Amino acid sequence: MPRYAMVIDLQRCVGCGACSIACRNENNVPEGIYWSNKITETVGTFPNVRYHYIPTLCNHCEYAPCVRGCPTKAMHKLENGITMHDPKKCIGCKYCEFNCPYGVIYFNWEAPHKFWRDKRVEIKDGTASPSELVKEVGGKAVPYYNPERDATLPGIRPKGVVEKCTFCDHRVNLGELPRCVEACPADARIFGDISDPKSDISALLGKFRPFRLREQIGTNPHVFYIRGYNPAAYQPTKGGV
Amino acid sequence: MSENKGLYGIWLAVLGIAIVVGLITAVKLFSQGHGLFNANDVLIWTLPLGVYIYLALASSGLTLLAAIPLVFGVRKYEPFAKRLVFLAIATLVGAFVSIGLELGSVFHMIYIMLSPNFSSPIWWMGAIYSVELAVLLVKFWKMHTGDWHSGFSKFLGTASFILALAAPLMIGSVFGITESRVTYFGPVMSIYCLLMAFLSGTALFILYSLVVNKVTGNGVPAELYDEVALIFTYAAGVVAVFTVLKYAIESATVVPEFLVYRQFEHAFGTVGVFHTEVLLGLFLPFVLLLIRSVRKAAGGKIVASALILIGTLLMHMEILLAGQSHPVGPKAEQFPGFISYFPSIWEILVFVFALAIMLLLYTLGERYLKLTEAPE
Repeated sequence: MPRYAMVIDLQRCVGCGACSIACRNENNVPEGIYWSNKITETVGTFPNVRYHYIPTLCNHCEYAPCVRGCPTKAMHKLENGITMHDPKKCIGCKYCEFNCPYGVIYFNWEAPHKFWRDKRVEIKDGTASPSELVKEVGGKAVPYYNPERDATLPGIRPKGVVEKCTFCDHRVNLGELPRCVEACPADARIFGDISDPKSDISALLGKFRPFRLREQIGTNPHVFYIRGYNPAAYQPTKGGV
Repeated sequence: MSENKGLYGIWLAVLGIAIVVGLITAVKLFSQGHGLFNANDVLIWTLPLGVYIYLALASSGLTLLAAIPLVFGVRKYEPFAKRLVFLAIATLVGAFVSIGLELGSVFHMIYIMLSPNFSSPIWWMGAIYSVELAVLLVKFWKMHTGDWHSGFSKFLGTASFILALAAPLMIGSVFGITESRVTYFGPVMSIYCLLMAFLSGTALFILYSLVVNKVTGNGVPAELYDEVALIFTYAAGVVAVFTVLKYAIESATVVPEFLVYRQFEHAFGTVGVFHTEVLLGLFLPFVLLLIRSVRKAAGGKIVASALILIGTLLMHMEILLAGQSHPVGPKAEQFPGFISYFPSIWEILVFVFALAIMLLLYTLGERYLKLTEAPE
């Protein structure tokens, strides 16, 4: 059985956000919820400043606090290492969200895709309402609804339950890559089986020293970051004197 | 007499209205969702969860207090035992109302039984409190039917005592094993919850009993309440020492998470260097209780216990909110660095609903269940 993991090459990542947009479309993610996200940071004082951009998603931790804490096993591990969620079992206690060290779990505070349920038209007899548009294009809840998501998880998660990244398990099951990996124009995301020493990600993790988010708390996250991007140069001096 | 009847009717009407409003709130929450709360994906647990912790711990405290006559055999406290067990039941029901309305999908609760996760402190907390409620109900029934000292009845008393010890520890561990929030992490939270449980349970019992005595002219000897007030003083002292230690450690450490936490741990303001709720809701009543004449006076007991009941709620709320006031990881991209909070009307109504159910049970129990009777 493979053990899936992801490597994100920060030198290749340009911070375009295509991963996040692709994720939203693939997984019918409602507004306000981010399965694929980022941490940005600006450090220093002008003109000596630098900007960090770290793409984030569920880390599919080996020792996942969300899985340990879930009272109903709604949050659970698959054999291939993916941390999966079953909305049918979720009681909406939000403990996984409270317990996640990475801030990647979100709660459906209301029925999702509120915008697309709106029956009001912008211009009377001129434009369609969002809900009419959804009906017209044959979508389910959203016009761009992806029915493939239904294969392993309700395509739209109801209010009162949490949701998060699943490494696109429905695509992985078919031998495809997660949508964010597929959509990355810079090929900054590498996905594969970390238990296979011949896999691309094993090779990369051997070649480059990776870091992971909040490693010190012992969750053993399976999203690895390699190579930082920094084009800055500086004048060499003898000890800065 | 007729004046009392009139007041009783008004009291029941007020509770009835509160319960109707609470039911409307429940329907609204489960039809529209918990977006009605002033909670979000950073400040995840708010007033309803705080109220649950508060009432559940108070219920455990009442059960622990009941163990003095029922488990440790101090028979002079037997006139309190039945009332204590009943209050523990009613308070726990109030807690369940609050947590029920906090959950997003209460209809999925069946999976707590069908798909239990034994590594989850939330599961254990739910299981222990559910069993405790059942044990307390049977124990109460036994006492009500005159069976106080049979083997089974004693077993029920011992079982409820052990469960009441375990449940606050488990509430504490819900927070205490949260690696992502270092300020909660560790066994301290469990010990704190256990101490707070005993303190708030004792405060609730004293306040309730003295108010009922005033209204109904109940005949339990006043000196017994003086003895309970002494236990109450010790409990307040232990919690005060623990709280001072907790704040001393928190304010001395330079662990980064605590430095952030310290910016937010004044939800209810400060008086000098002291948190308002700790000063007025714990230290002040403790000092009042240390004064013998105040401790022996009914008014002194009422003021001290009322202050502690308010103080413990606010202390729970402050700990709950301060640990969640800032976003974790990428949530800082969508949310400000600090989340301010004031409960929405719906959250307040959940609180009112839980209290109304609890007080209705208190009222009916006091009227129909002979709560001060003791074995011959």
